[in-house]
Amino acid sequence: MSRFDIPANIVEQTRLAHSIFLLTVNAPAIMDSANPGQFCMLEVQDDNSRDPLLRRPLSIYKTGSNGKISFLYKEVGKGTRLLSKRRPGEIIRVLGPLGQGFRLIHDCPSILVGGGLGVASLLLLAQRIKQPHRLIVLIGAKNASEIPTIEDFSRLTRYLHIITEDGSLGQRGVITELLNQTLQKITDMAQIYTCGPWSMMKAVYHMARKRNIPCQVSLEAAMACGTGLCLGCAVPKSNSQGFLHVCQEGPVFDADQVHWG
Amino acid sequence: MINQKKTIPVCPDLSINIGTLRLKNPVLLASGTCGYGMELDGLLDLDKLGGIIIKGLSIRPRSGNPPPRLAETPCGLLNSIGLENIGIEVFIRDKLPCLRNIQTSLIVNILGNSVEEYFEMAKRLDREEGIEAIEVNISCPNVKAGGIAFGTDPEAAASVTHAVKKATGLPVIIKLTPNVTDITEVARKVASAGADAISLINTLLGMAIDIKFRRPALANVFGGLSGPAIKPIALRMVWQVVRAVDIPVIGIGGIITPDDALEFLMAGARAVQIGTATLIRPSTAEDLPAGIRDYMRANNIKNVENLRLPA
Ligand SMILES: Cc1cc2nc3c(=O)[nH]c(=O)nc-3n(C[C@H](O)[C@H](O)[C@H](O)COP(=O)(O)OP(=O)(O)OC[C@H]3O[C@@H](n4cnc5c(N)ncnc54)[C@H](O)[C@@H]3O)c2cc1C
Ligand SMILES: Cc1cc2nc3c(=O)[nH]c(=O)nc-3n(C[C@H](O)[C@H](O)[C@H](O)COP(=O)(O)O)c2cc1C
Ligand code: FES
Repeated sequence: MSRFDIPANIVEQTRLAHSIFLLTVNAPAIMDSANPGQFCMLEVQDDNSRDPLLRRPLSIYKTGSNGKISFLYKEVGKGTRLLSKRRPGEIIRVLGPLGQGFRLIHDCPSILVGGGLGVASLLLLAQRIKQPHRLIVLIGAKNASEIPTIEDFSRLTRYLHIITEDGSLGQRGVITELLNQTLQKITDMAQIYTCGPWSMMKAVYHMARKRNIPCQVSLEAAMACGTGLCLGCAVPKSNSQGFLHVCQEGPVFDADQVHWG
Repeated sequence: MINQKKTIPVCPDLSINIGTLRLKNPVLLASGTCGYGMELDGLLDLDKLGGIIIKGLSIRPRSGNPPPRLAETPCGLLNSIGLENIGIEVFIRDKLPCLRNIQTSLIVNILGNSVEEYFEMAKRLDREEGIEAIEVNISCPNVKAGGIAFGTDPEAAASVTHAVKKATGLPVIIKLTPNVTDITEVARKVASAGADAISLINTLLGMAIDIKFRRPALANVFGGLSGPAIKPIALRMVWQVVRAVDIPVIGIGGIITPDDALEFLMAGARAVQIGTATLIRPSTAEDLPAGIRDYMRANNIKNVENLRLPA
């Protein structure tokens, strides 16, 4: 397990939609050992104000050539707002790659289910799937502007299906409808990988379980360290015996392990 | 930092004594913020530190509080981990063997719900090789006394100290809670009950409310506040306790930079512990010994103890 805490040079900060940004930094060491589903902790402030005090966790969205890694993030509060103000040429401290990512299961169709910014942890995975002809990507969002990076996925598979609540892109409706349509067509074994809002992942898991399809979920939790030091990132286990720790045992879990409530 | 040129160069000695325990420098990692040590592998060179204090252990494993367990506040962190830990036996079996290889002093932090539990744990640890001292977290509810924390009741704090001292020959550090009216009263009691040293402060009781969801930010409602926000209070309490007892005091609370650490050493602390800062930047503590040394050299101060201000 190699992790690095490095001062990284910002090479790109692009606003893709109203509150969605793509941040690219130069971090060769992290790039080299990054696996799909892993994340980094970013020091968002550019001074010693210690406000906000904690770093912010972001999934590794892309790894580029020449040691670059990118993060796809949404401005939701103070930390992500400060992050969006950081400019190319500045230095940002990045700790990663952290956590246990997706376990790649080959030899069967892979169904990736992303809700909104949940797609941020799925692109690397889509790239590493060895049989692109058996890669199915389903993406759902409130509207088109929530998912501005669709082309990144359409390049990788012919089976990309999009659904939005307002119908501004793809079908109109919610992601579970897409998943239902897809599962109906699938006859052999498959593997579902999902990341998105809790309620969506819960619904995806229930549909998967009904058909006995294994399902890996990428969870979020409030984090202080991201490295297993504080035990703050707890999520209840399915057998109600204690807790999973999202930063260390996750963020990706077999959905069966999680107590969905 | 002041940077005066002196004609006679001194070679500062950073080593310190806490009872019979000798540390190569006065910088330690605080319990609950450095896991069981190995989580920091590759991110911090433990060998550069004076010591590491393991996550608080109980007699049986504890699963801790439900989430959310963390809330960020201005310059501070609220936590209600609920003392989740793997228990003393699993620690001895699975963690201790690797920890014996590190070139820094290993201190084990214990917590209990009765005087007997503290006694049992201290006795158990006393048999194990590689442990150099025991730190006793007395910020836990005393089940037999209706759940009042040992650390807020001077008599109960003294009983725990007595029991642990009886159970072990290792140096015993009693870690005080700041959630009391007069910190010196508890400090005096544990000192006269035989504590070899006192460490303070543990977290300050606090809370935050999520106004969007209209509920307390922590599932447990209350949590412990740590980080830079608590430093002035911690420093004041260290100053008071240093002047109330004659055993060594270890300062804890909001330390990030060498300057922060120097403030505590000037207040009279013999050593310092780094907590929340390690969560934010794992390598924080590594830079402190050199920073302290630079200051001592620039100011012609030979020993850590000479940093202490008069009065
Ligand atoms: C392992 C992991 C990976 C993550 N990867 C990504 C990623 O790739 N891209 C990304 O945009 N985010 C990601 N997140 C979420 C991201 O860390 C948070 O959105 C961020 O920390 C919020 O910080 P803030 O200071 O801006 O908001 P805060 O001030 O902390 O929160 C502001 C408000 O936003 C709410 N909020 C917090 N998180 C979210 C969220 N995820 N979505 C909606 N509302 C939220 C809070 O409840 C609060 O009301 C990830 C989280 C984890 C744990
Ligand atoms: C997440 C977290 C967990 C902690 N767990 C323990 C613990 O198990 N035992 C203990 O004695 N103190 C524990 N503490 C208290 C710290 O050791 C320290 O006393 C306190 O955080 C103040 O120092 P700081 O401001 O440098 O963090 C914990 C603190 C934090 C933030
Ligand atoms: S965030 Fe600290 S242990 Fe997971």
